[in-house]
Amino acid sequence: MSTLDATPQSGLATFWRLLGFLRPYRRAVAASFAFATAAMTMTVAIPWLTGRAINQINEGDSADLKTLAAAVLLAGVLRLGLTFIRRIVAGRVSLGVEYDLRSRMYRQLQSLELAFFDTEQTGQLMSRATVDLQSVRFFLGYGLIFMIQSLLTIVLASVAMLITDPLLAVISLTPVPFVILVAFRYGRRSRPALQEVQQRIAELTADVEENIGGVRVVKAFAAERRQEARFDWQVGRVFEQAMISTRLQAFYNPLIGFLPQLGLAAVLFIGGRQVINGNLTIGAFSAFYVYLLMLISPMRTFGVSLGLAQRATASGARLFQVLDREPRVTSRPDAPPLPAGRGKVEFRQATLRYPGAERDALEAIDLTVPAGRTVALVGGTGSGKSSLVQLVPRLYDVTEGAVLVDGADVRDVEVSSLRGQVAVVDDNPFLFSASIAENIAYGRPDAGDPEIRQAAERAQALSFIEELPDGMETVVGERGMTLSGGQRQRIAIARALITDPRILILDDATSSVDASTESEIKRALEEVMDGRTTFVIAHRLSTIALAEEIVLLEGGRLVAHGDHDQLLAASDLYRQIVEKGLPDQVFLTRKPAEREVAGL
Amino acid sequence: MTTAAAGRRADIQRRLKGTSGRGRKLRGLVNLIGPYRGRAALMFGALVIGVAASLAPAPLAAMAIDDGIIPGNLNALNLVVAAYLASVFIVWGSSYLQTYLVGWVGQRALQDLRRRIFRHLQDLPVGFYDSRPSGVLISRMTNDVEALNSLVTDTVITLFSATLTLLGSMVILLLLDWQLALLIFLIFPVMAVLSLAFRVASADAYRRTRETIGSLTAYLQETLSGVHVVRAFAQEPVHRARFAGINAANREANMKTVWLNASYFPAVEFVSALATVLVILFGGLQAINGNIEIGVLVGFVAALNGFFDPIGQLSQVYTTYQSGMAALDKIFELLDTEPDLTDSPDARPLPPVKGRIDFESVTFAYPSRAADGKPGAPAVSGVDLSIAPGETIALVGSTGAGKSTLAKLVARFYDPGEGAVSVDGHDLRSVTMDSLRSQMGYVPQEAYLFSGTIADNIAFGAPDATREELESAARAAGAMAFIESLPNGLDTEVGERGVQLSAGQRQLVAFARAIAADPRILVLDEATSNVDIHTELAIEEGLQRLLAGRTAIVIAHRLSTIREADRIIVLEHGKIVEQGSHDELVGAGGPYASLYHDWAQQAGT
Repeated sequence: MSTLDATPQSGLATFWRLLGFLRPYRRAVAASFAFATAAMTMTVAIPWLTGRAINQINEGDSADLKTLAAAVLLAGVLRLGLTFIRRIVAGRVSLGVEYDLRSRMYRQLQSLELAFFDTEQTGQLMSRATVDLQSVRFFLGYGLIFMIQSLLTIVLASVAMLITDPLLAVISLTPVPFVILVAFRYGRRSRPALQEVQQRIAELTADVEENIGGVRVVKAFAAERRQEARFDWQVGRVFEQAMISTRLQAFYNPLIGFLPQLGLAAVLFIGGRQVINGNLTIGAFSAFYVYLLMLISPMRTFGVSLGLAQRATASGARLFQVLDREPRVTSRPDAPPLPAGRGKVEFRQATLRYPGAERDALEAIDLTVPAGRTVALVGGTGSGKSSLVQLVPRLYDVTEGAVLVDGADVRDVEVSSLRGQVAVVDDNPFLFSASIAENIAYGRPDAGDPEIRQAAERAQALSFIEELPDGMETVVGERGMTLSGGQRQRIAIARALITDPRILILDDATSSVDASTESEIKRALEEVMDGRTTFVIAHRLSTIALAEEIVLLEGGRLVAHGDHDQLLAASDLYRQIVEKGLPDQVFLTRKPAEREVAGL
Repeated sequence: MTTAAAGRRADIQRRLKGTSGRGRKLRGLVNLIGPYRGRAALMFGALVIGVAASLAPAPLAAMAIDDGIIPGNLNALNLVVAAYLASVFIVWGSSYLQTYLVGWVGQRALQDLRRRIFRHLQDLPVGFYDSRPSGVLISRMTNDVEALNSLVTDTVITLFSATLTLLGSMVILLLLDWQLALLIFLIFPVMAVLSLAFRVASADAYRRTRETIGSLTAYLQETLSGVHVVRAFAQEPVHRARFAGINAANREANMKTVWLNASYFPAVEFVSALATVLVILFGGLQAINGNIEIGVLVGFVAALNGFFDPIGQLSQVYTTYQSGMAALDKIFELLDTEPDLTDSPDARPLPPVKGRIDFESVTFAYPSRAADGKPGAPAVSGVDLSIAPGETIALVGSTGAGKSTLAKLVARFYDPGEGAVSVDGHDLRSVTMDSLRSQMGYVPQEAYLFSGTIADNIAFGAPDATREELESAARAAGAMAFIESLPNGLDTEVGERGVQLSAGQRQLVAFARAIAADPRILVLDEATSNVDIHTELAIEEGLQRLLAGRTAIVIAHRLSTIREADRIIVLEHGKIVEQGSHDELVGAGGPYASLYHDWAQQAGT
């Protein structure tokens, strides 16, 4: 179902693209590189100076010893300064890249259309935005520097060795290309293995999320043990895959450490003979030896960094899958704002098929709603009521046909100007972890306190808000106080009201509310509907009664359209609804509705 | 001592404590590895041998020079080279073993921890979840376990191998020349002061980075959950700006740690250069005077590498160590939360239920609504109610009247504060929860489905059900009509939380799920109006079939449900104010009658 899995990309291409994140910092990267080179030169100079000192000592010459010691000290001081600057510069780059990566990911997630989020699990997206992003920034921030630094050390030490004794250098450096080859093979084999580990962890996370969300159901069916068994299975899958990658690591990593040691053995064996033959000074020999010792750690680091690089490439591929996903609902850069008007809505042969679905959710709907009119949408489950209204603020785009608001095709106007004029109140409103005031002012962050209070009052929410411990400042949402469904709905209505929209969409906004609350909400709704084009997805007769026109949908097609009496006369389905279904629903309404439901 | 100085001292102590991993945390880690102690011991054996073998090059080099090269003894040189090669092979073999075992033990321990957290979460009562946002709990299982992953697989090993290497190098230095070695050790106090200063300075800096990354993740999670609201109100720019603010705060916090690291690590390197200077000056003079052999000097310089490398490594793993320890703290805090609603030690399984339910002067207040140690207002108080086997009870009343609280007490999601709830005369606190809940069905108002197929979901309460039984449950619930219209029928994937189905369809599946479980007692929080007429009719029929022959407590909203009920209980402010059948109550002229008349007037019948 996910649309993200099917885009294979070569590892190398992904790697180059990842390096592209460093482009804005190329000067700092170059500076950091220069400082690293200078610092490394100092690091290499120290054994060279030490080697010379040992030669002097061997010759029993103590004259230059102090000078050489002072030179080592100077090299140490220079290295201290250079490394300090290098770390600050590189740290800035690394944090800058991290910042950029996060904002780019967030921007992208904020520009993708709603349909994308229908097919992607939140847990999966979170895992890409956190775990994968982490491994990419780890590599770009630290791994790459380690890699360059160790490569630099290898090159500098090799050059110093080649100058000292070319033959011995060639012999002792023979393992180096093999080390790199092995490291490369390791990377190529471990990348898919690691990618699969991350994928399985993401699946496990999704499973956890679902279990926490559905804990009441799990407990009610005493299904804890079975859910645990299912989780154990997931955990086992992670373990198996992690072991596949551990086995690769256990084979290759020690091999990468082993090969350069052969070079050291060669130095001892061949270099030792050369010293005995008088072809090599003892100082040069010991410098050689220390150089090779110095190389072991960088080669290992190089291997580890290659591992980091592989991991980052695997993660990068998963990031790019999200970043490359073209937003499908966008407006042209020069798109004009929604023209002035009072909220006339036209559907012309509007057809909608959800991605991956096998049949149309809406088939060629033709419907014109004059400005200011209230339309009730009635129909069976899956008849397309919600799909139809979601086309108006362009939460989804029509597959064929068009939707026009005040004469303009919604695809031709600037999206935010359109959505600013269309407010949606759905059946299970989401509130952010912020104060009630901020939640109400969500669509108009500049709204002042009097406006917020007025909106709350018109939504019949003010009285209960004032009873809360912190009133308007009470924090609600995921990390705040839990409100009842009815309270959340009234806040959602206030949130819609404050934007003063031309068009209002109420997706069964009075569900999950009991009777006494419902009548309050209904009063709030009437208040809100006044003077706006309103679509109501209605299940209750009392809600239908608020509408001037009724549209009956079935299987994605518009089957009847008219006022209550017309539909009673024309549609069997509607008669059935009126006669058998809905009256029960209004049972617990304490106060009689303000508007009489004529003829029901 | 002035108070300011005392305060500063307390602050430094706090920081030191915050970064140490003693006591419970380490015991917890050791406990995790406990079951695999055989392999862990083998791993440490391999580690010790590997470290010992990897220390060989420095003394071997000294031997090669002093015994082989300088005297011109080729045999001795060959012997040293052979010993050298042997040590290299030992390192190879032991690293292979160590890497493999670390991976094995570490991953096993982590998976055990994941399992333990999951089991613990499952054992915690519903009340626990009332006051905890799910994001925080999920993060225990993901971010914190991940942080621990690097602690277990990289950090602990680096910690041990670096410490061993350090100790080994010290021994070698002492053996090579104890006087020169002691001179080098003068550097220790300098290193100790440096490291301590770094630890104190960085404790708060690292904590701050963990906090900022936490708020980044939480913000991301929230805007993803509420993405439909963000889109509908076109508030993307506001969220982008806010996210940028949190993102920048995270960068600032991290920049502090960069400054600290940039000061500390180069300083360690500098100290190592200082040590080399000491060796050249003092060792050199000694060698010239003939007190030290030249090979010893070379060996000394080589061994210094093994001395300072581990110090750098130890500090490098410091960050992962700290965040790993912090994660461990949070995980244990969760694991230490005792479920306050558990089976009592002498709980018996509930025998097959006939279905009688008794409430005896039951009073209950939600702990999550308590404030300042005072319990909140009771949600139900002094409720006495007996329900006969097979009876259907409709609970009626306005929001907050206590309907769902009564229902949840029957499922033992909570224990009553006063009084008792019993089934067939067994106090619920005296029977095992498993045996109670496996004979009880619960249909919440918002039908929660799990990802998987429709069939998986229906089989949720009856894992052994055959395909035919699942189909007949779906048919009885009235769900078969829509299921058959789906291309894959019962095998249709419902998606995360059932998003691929409409609310009404989810409800029908939840009904089928309850029917398949075939409980003796059913608790049903009737959905109000998420469904349309077709589904509504299907649900009414399904509901009748679901209720037939079971003891049922229904939080009722539909008149048809209320009318069919054997008894209606009217609740107000947590108390029963009226009960009886529909006709009786309408005749009695009480609160129910006035509700009914309002309805009749509005519906115009």
